[in-house]
Amino acid sequence: MKEGMPNNSTASISQARKAVEQLKMEACRDRVKVSQAAADLLAYCEAHVREDPLIIPVPASENPFREKKFFCTIL
Amino acid sequence: MAADGLHENETLASLKSEAESLKGKLEEERAKLHDVELHQVAERVEALGQFVMKTRRTLKGHGNKVLCMDWCKDKRRLVSSSQEHAVTMPCTWVMACAYAPSGCAIACGGLDNKCSVYPLTFDKNENMAAKKKSVAMHTNYLSACSFTNSDMQILTASGDGTCALWDVESGQLLQSFHGHGADVLCLDLAPSETGNTFVSGGCDKKAMVWDMRSGQCVQAFETHESDINSVRYYPSGDAFASGSDDATCRLYDLRADREVAIYSKESIIFGASSVDFSLSGRLLFAGYNDYTINVWDVLKGSRVSILFGHENRVSTLRVSPDGTAFCSGSWDHTLRVWA
Repeated sequence: MKEGMPNNSTASISQARKAVEQLKMEACRDRVKVSQAAADLLAYCEAHVREDPLIIPVPASENPFREKKFFCTIL
Repeated sequence: MAADGLHENETLASLKSEAESLKGKLEEERAKLHDVELHQVAERVEALGQFVMKTRRTLKGHGNKVLCMDWCKDKRRLVSSSQEHAVTMPCTWVMACAYAPSGCAIACGGLDNKCSVYPLTFDKNENMAAKKKSVAMHTNYLSACSFTNSDMQILTASGDGTCALWDVESGQLLQSFHGHGADVLCLDLAPSETGNTFVSGGCDKKAMVWDMRSGQCVQAFETHESDINSVRYYPSGDAFASGSDDATCRLYDLRADREVAIYSKESIIFGASSVDFSLSGRLLFAGYNDYTINVWDVLKGSRVSILFGHENRVSTLRVSPDGTAFCSGSWDHTLRVWA
């Protein structure tokens, strides 16, 4: 019969099997509700916003990029 | 035998339909937990104040389009790469570059299909090219690279559809990651506290999260409508953002296993090339092909600012390690530092 064909279908079958295995694995993972996940994202932001210089700016004297004294050079 | 041929075809068809039904089940499971939208939960959060962010430094030195940049952990130095002939790189497009955690080396690569590591020296008499070490070898262009937590290992992404983990010293391939159906364009390592995973994005519109030790894909997300140009983890490691040619940026939560926000506007029609979070994760900075940078409120989903200045596509964008500024690189040959 067509000996060339089996190579192509064998590869596609093995790929299809891998896809099914991958999906089975993804299907059984634990998930949390969006409300819970969202609450955690919010909590992280709130806990760190005070240390975020782009939201709560540090005094210009402490931010070297806002200071006019420093220049950039190519090393 | 004809019978065998038929048998094989049936198996292929039945496997494909099994895959389709599993995908359907996956969507059902994800939908069950979709009880609220992120921006609704964020209604109780205070709105952000007015933003005054300006270009504080413009770095001109490249002779051509800036394609990539990275900050050194010392927060004051950065490395950038561009489309031009350089003494040390024999090819024209250096598409990826990264600073080693120690600050003592940089890695870069592009159309040469390789990722090479250069120990840094500030001795003008030393020829950096002579110390160059070829570490990674792909079968197509290198689109992204990143050192892991040490100078000893490099993670690469390639136009050949794979990602790979390499030992810098020996050049040995430690792990390869197969699963993308097309060029991989970007990657980002999870913050060290959250373990050995990384996320990649590609031309197959998929973002995939990988286990670095096993080479296994642990989660995949396919909601973008075009190439994903950039992926970046939320600072807690529980989520990541993506920027795409479909003109949107999106936020995916890893524990809810789904997309939880889309950052888009009807007026934004050009692709987002590069994204990064501010230190707290509240702001998402995104550079676009329409030369602008949009600043998004990650929680509320709204745009808080639009920054003008570049005179061509913004190709790369990174917030500094201490969060005091961010740097954008552009096809206009310059880098701008904003604060």
